[in-house]
Amino acid sequence: MEQLKAWLDALLASVSWDESLIAFLHGSALGQWVVSGQWVWPIAETLHFIGLALLIGVIAPLDARLIGFMPRVPIAALHRMVPFAIGGFVLCLATGILFFVGTPEQYIPNESFWLKALFLAIAGANMLAFELTQRSRAEALAPGIPTPRAFKVIGSLSLVSWFMVLYWGRMLPFAVGASF
Amino acid sequence: MDLLTAIEASPLATFLRESTSVWAYPTVLMLHTVGLALLVGLNAAFDLRLLGVGRGVPLDALETWFPVMWIGFWLNLVTGVLLFATDPIRLGTTTIFFSKLAIVVAGVILIPLLRRAVYGRVAGQAPAIPPLAKVYALLSLVLWTAAIVTGRFMAYVSEIA
Repeated sequence: MEQLKAWLDALLASVSWDESLIAFLHGSALGQWVVSGQWVWPIAETLHFIGLALLIGVIAPLDARLIGFMPRVPIAALHRMVPFAIGGFVLCLATGILFFVGTPEQYIPNESFWLKALFLAIAGANMLAFELTQRSRAEALAPGIPTPRAFKVIGSLSLVSWFMVLYWGRMLPFAVGASF
Repeated sequence: MDLLTAIEASPLATFLRESTSVWAYPTVLMLHTVGLALLVGLNAAFDLRLLGVGRGVPLDALETWFPVMWIGFWLNLVTGVLLFATDPIRLGTTTIFFSKLAIVVAGVILIPLLRRAVYGRVAGQAPAIPPLAKVYALLSLVLWTAAIVTGRFMAYVSEIA
């Protein structure tokens, strides 16, 4: 993790477009709106946390089921709750974009942000892998049958990567220079 | 007010507030969010199931979620006390903090009520959802959403009020 952070630091230091991007976002109407209204940020943060609870609350039981817990619950039934997780994710993504556009200078040089984005990408790719390669097998798996290894791997990776998304998101304000 | 001052000046509170270590304030705050995800996340999923979402999920298998909710609760009680200790004079004098406390107490009281309403029947029978359980589920969703709203706004209240 330390090596990864050092590598990210070096990468970020080499990026020269960040100043113009920050200036562009600051000048945008959306960026202005996010930081000018005193209620915009707190309300967006609140929605971000509600989205977080929905996302984790639906995905964590599904992951636990894929790993092998609650064997009597049909995976297909848990999977039907995924639209709520997607709704939670969209809420988080939309409010996350507001934070980024409002104060890009707190995110672009912040390695917690890039680590969060990295684990978000891993979680997304993992979810896509499940949907594309395991979905039909999961729907067909009868309750009480032990889950195949691929399910356990995908479920574990999902749990770990979503936890890391939450972890690095929570660490965002503690980066040097951040003030939110 | 003396009590709040004493808490604020205590060595533990001072350490949590002033240490630059990632293991001090940042970790406590992160764990509070993890507890939130476990407690409110599972609670919301369970409530949604009672209210008609994901009908194919057998209810009797979900009773195992309750111990996990309680893990989230205890985690957040401990980390919540620590977070309060870092800023007791501001928090202990704001309405929003006591509003959150009252909402959380009500939400926590609902957890065993909800469990009993759904599972408190003859063992081995497939549980149908009693109307009372649906009322509890709706109330629970509203309360935990309100707990998140008031909890998040606590961080901004000195800037706004």
